[in-house]
Amino acid sequence: MGSLFRSEQMCLAQLYLQSEAAFACVSKLGELGLVSFTDLNPNVNAFQRKFVNDVRRCDEMERKLRFLERELKKDQIGVYDNGDNPPAPAPREMIELEAKFEKLENDMKEINTNQEALKKNFLELTEMKQILMKAQHFFEEMDRFDTTEDEALIDPNTPQTVAAAGKLGFVAGVILRSKLPSFERVLWRACRGNVFLRHAEIEMALEDPVTGDVVNKSVFIIFFQGDQLRNRVQKICEGLHATLYPCPDTSNERREIAIGVMTRIEDLQAVLNQTEDHRHLVLTQVALNIRVWFIKVRKIKAIYHTLNLFNVNIAEKCLIAQCWCPTNDLGKIQDALRYGTEVSGSSVASILQQVTTEEQPPTYNRTNMFTESFQGIIDAFGVSTYQEVNPAPFTIITFPFLFAVMFGDFGHGLLMLVFGLVLVIREKFYLAQKSADSEIWDMIFGGRYMILFMGFFSMYTGFLYNECFSRSFNVFGSSWNVSAMNFDAVTLGNASALDLDPVTPGVYRGYPDNYINGSGYPYPYGMDPIWQSAENKITFQNSYKMKSSIVLGFAQMLFGLTLALYNHIYFKDRLSIICEWIPQMIFIWCIVGYLCVIILFKWITWKDPASAPSLLIGLINMFMFTAPSKADGTFLYTGQSTVQIFVVLMIVFCLPWMLLAKPAVIYYRRRQKANRSQRNYNLAGGEMADDVPIIEQDQLDVESNSIQQTEPDPDEKDFSEIMILQIIHTIEFSLNCISHTASYLRLWALSLAHSELSEVLWTMVMHIGLSMAPPAGPIVTYAVFWFFAVLTVGILLVMEGLSAFLHALRLHWVEFQSKFYKGQGYAFLPFSFESIIQGRVDE
Amino acid sequence: MGLFDFAEVGFNVDNGFLEGLTRGFKNGVLCKEDYRHLTQCDSLEDLKLHLQSTTYGNFLANEPSPLTVAVIDDRLREKLVVEFQFLRNHAYKELATFLDFIKYSYMIDNIILLITGTLRQRQLSELLPKCHPLGIFDQMETVTIANSTADLYNAILVDSPLAPFFKDCISEEDLDEVNIEVIRNTLYKAYLEAFYDWCEGCGGATAEVMCEILGFEADRRSFIITINSFGTELSKEDRAKLYPRRGKLYPDGLTELARADDYESVKRVAEHYTEYRKLFDGTGVGIGEKTLEDKFFEHEVTMNVNSFMQQFQYGVFYSFVKLREQECRNVIWISECIAQRHRSKIDSYIPIF
Repeated sequence: MGSLFRSEQMCLAQLYLQSEAAFACVSKLGELGLVSFTDLNPNVNAFQRKFVNDVRRCDEMERKLRFLERELKKDQIGVYDNGDNPPAPAPREMIELEAKFEKLENDMKEINTNQEALKKNFLELTEMKQILMKAQHFFEEMDRFDTTEDEALIDPNTPQTVAAAGKLGFVAGVILRSKLPSFERVLWRACRGNVFLRHAEIEMALEDPVTGDVVNKSVFIIFFQGDQLRNRVQKICEGLHATLYPCPDTSNERREIAIGVMTRIEDLQAVLNQTEDHRHLVLTQVALNIRVWFIKVRKIKAIYHTLNLFNVNIAEKCLIAQCWCPTNDLGKIQDALRYGTEVSGSSVASILQQVTTEEQPPTYNRTNMFTESFQGIIDAFGVSTYQEVNPAPFTIITFPFLFAVMFGDFGHGLLMLVFGLVLVIREKFYLAQKSADSEIWDMIFGGRYMILFMGFFSMYTGFLYNECFSRSFNVFGSSWNVSAMNFDAVTLGNASALDLDPVTPGVYRGYPDNYINGSGYPYPYGMDPIWQSAENKITFQNSYKMKSSIVLGFAQMLFGLTLALYNHIYFKDRLSIICEWIPQMIFIWCIVGYLCVIILFKWITWKDPASAPSLLIGLINMFMFTAPSKADGTFLYTGQSTVQIFVVLMIVFCLPWMLLAKPAVIYYRRRQKANRSQRNYNLAGGEMADDVPIIEQDQLDVESNSIQQTEPDPDEKDFSEIMILQIIHTIEFSLNCISHTASYLRLWALSLAHSELSEVLWTMVMHIGLSMAPPAGPIVTYAVFWFFAVLTVGILLVMEGLSAFLHALRLHWVEFQSKFYKGQGYAFLPFSFESIIQGRVDE
Repeated sequence: MGLFDFAEVGFNVDNGFLEGLTRGFKNGVLCKEDYRHLTQCDSLEDLKLHLQSTTYGNFLANEPSPLTVAVIDDRLREKLVVEFQFLRNHAYKELATFLDFIKYSYMIDNIILLITGTLRQRQLSELLPKCHPLGIFDQMETVTIANSTADLYNAILVDSPLAPFFKDCISEEDLDEVNIEVIRNTLYKAYLEAFYDWCEGCGGATAEVMCEILGFEADRRSFIITINSFGTELSKEDRAKLYPRRGKLYPDGLTELARADDYESVKRVAEHYTEYRKLFDGTGVGIGEKTLEDKFFEHEVTMNVNSFMQQFQYGVFYSFVKLREQECRNVIWISECIAQRHRSKIDSYIPIF
């Protein structure tokens, strides 16, 4: 049997590692990824463990690396990735790494502080420049205003104006544009309207030196009178984070300063460029190595975390670890340990010792790219109990098949197949792209083989249903012949629908007599294309699909029950086979199997369409013990009455068998066991009868203790509990035989819905375009096609596909797996660097 | 609200997501077990390691060692602020108002902090980091220009959401230390009354839960104000004006409190109320004894925990913020004890769950 049939055999092992070799050994095991360590000090706090300081050092290193990574991101330098996977460095190299990161971090910080200072300086100068420019503008405007007004009203040389102008003070500064409105308001209120504010936007965006964000600012200039107001204005400016700059009164001075500022800006720009270059140089070096560093640090950290799980034996200077590992891989693990010991130069070999345990081992199913998604479906329901039959390998075929029964359409299947194929063929390309960070995409991509299979199977069932976008192929030629009906021209001309009578000779080539003579044949494979245009297509297909759903469902449930037998045999549970499995098998055969048999019987042998029996009434009558008769259309074969009475009696007989046999046997066994120990006890008690009572009491205790020790039965449940469980199981099984069979009718329902929807889409959309005459026809067809295509993909492929997927999933989880699958195990999570580095495992 | 009181029916339409989220946040609040581990830590690094295994996760991962208590404080507060801002940004209609009300108390604290600081000639840049980030608003930093409350109101606060609370304390007097305490308490009184009335107006479970919590808050303030006023120049009439007129003490208890002259008389007032008698019993300042303040905090925590028992109400948001705050105080207390090697009092934090 393939390895997927049952989960891998596991064993619990203890490792004795020399202190100096432990690091190297664990490192090797991490590369291997085949063991899962158990925590031997669950009661010790995280910060009281032995290697907590080393873990902390790793944390610190990681922090530095993250800092560098952020800097890289800030400068938009991509990280160089050559796919290298360096081994975990030895502990002594850690110091080297630490020193290296320390230096890089300090360098980087220094560069950043320098750059920040320079940028701040630069910002100030730029703002200064802007202020001088705008202020010049303000003053010029005002002068113009002044002169015009002065000329009109008063003599410009009057002493009052000069004096007034002399007393007016002003401050100039820069403020964030978003704060300007509240600034203006506060200013007005606090100074009671005694100030005059002018502002202008700085057109270019400025850079905040600390955060590096782009900010928009405005220049403002405030005129006021008196020192008190000046104080007030300055406080408000401080409060709203406005920066004030000294601005000289006369325009000549302003011009001079502006020139000075310009030259300083130019100088500063040069220096800034140099710093930028230097920073870039350092960062490109970092970008080359940072990925490898990250991997190294994470590996070291993972190793120390693992070492923290170990038991430290101080006297013998060794670490004791306990782990689960697959029995088949013990050799590889031994090799890894040997290698680790050699590398570390330790003289004493590391020892691996198997331990026997009562604990249930973890479930480990080795999957590959293909089986992964199918195993995923099973695990989503519940991880299988250790070594029970794993439904995954069967799911590979049955899942896409049941999906296809509901999604049967050649065209839709083809589209799905092509999509799946693209994903599979370009697999390497998509895998290399790694994290697209989209869960939906990950899910679709993960299920690419499933999509491929579902597409393929849908094409097959579509071919059987003879539907392709709801149209039919006429591959083999229809076996119905309209001309044999000999309709006259008038009937043909007037009628919108015509009756074809299969009994009329020549109309249906498959009609029984001709069929037997070999002169005609029914449509050889799949549905006859003539049904596509028949009015009673749905009536015909319903009966056909409904019955085949039940037959398929019975087949799958029977298969599930067969797997249960494998489980019972594997776990040597003879009691369950005889008292559960056999009556279950008889029960399901009698109640559902018989129905399937008569369905097939009717399909194969019935030839006369006029007197076809009704299976439904027949089934009801069977349970009412009404003898089948031709009159009510329930007669199928001679002796039917006897057979049916036998079947019903078997059903009734199986019920108590399932319900009582197993608890009865358990009860009987227990009583025997109790008798036996009672006898032992009596024997012992009898011997002690003459002894002093106190000793007898002691002896009794010892005796009962020893009995418990020799026959430890931790799973021993209370009898009433066993009985209740058995009642539940019996009721569940017998009801489920009916309800699950009915549940399989969803195969028919969804298939019907799918074919109806696609037919509606064709007749309501595509048909309109195709039935128009040129010249409008082709154009409309073209336009309508896109509509049709979008709806086909959106509704029929995606929505219907998801719904069919969901129902197929349910049929597997509930109807199929309930027959044999317990799913009470827990997954094997090996300690593996690969998954740690990819971030799949947290710590 | 309105004629037909079916507020619960539509509650989830507007607030279901946020309520769920808040309950999720609440599940992340540290429990007794966590505190037990934390108090066993030998250094702040240990504390960091343990907090990593809680919902705080890697919130200290990017801090260079050695850690200081101040850094932990900042990060803890930052987490609360981020969570609160998220809630506020997604809140709708009434919930938004409710969350704003929560913010107002921080605004009041910030304003008072800034004014006191300026009076003591501190620099603005020194004061700003001490402000609670939840209470920061645009014009906040300009309060330093005000010399009197009238100034403060007319120039700055008239635009801010605090304006309605301010109308009772406008005067032309110059600001001084006593004055500021009076302003703080008057503001708080107005704020509490407004918040209380708003919650009462909401009706339903919100009113039920919040009125109890806010009523307790009001009573606590009245007690504390009275106790702190002994030996100061505050007159009894002025003191009575500061009592929030809501909660269980209003009106009889407050009248009696207004007459109180010493701690014993305050205690006598509390005797009349079962809840408060318990709080006043067995308080002290010695080791092993709990201070009155701690008792009040404990009672507040119980009320806030209980508020999660009711669904379809805004109380959970308030309680969550208060519980997180208490948690921050606890962690900081423990950190301080560890940092200062002062372990004897490390157990006087207030456990939440």
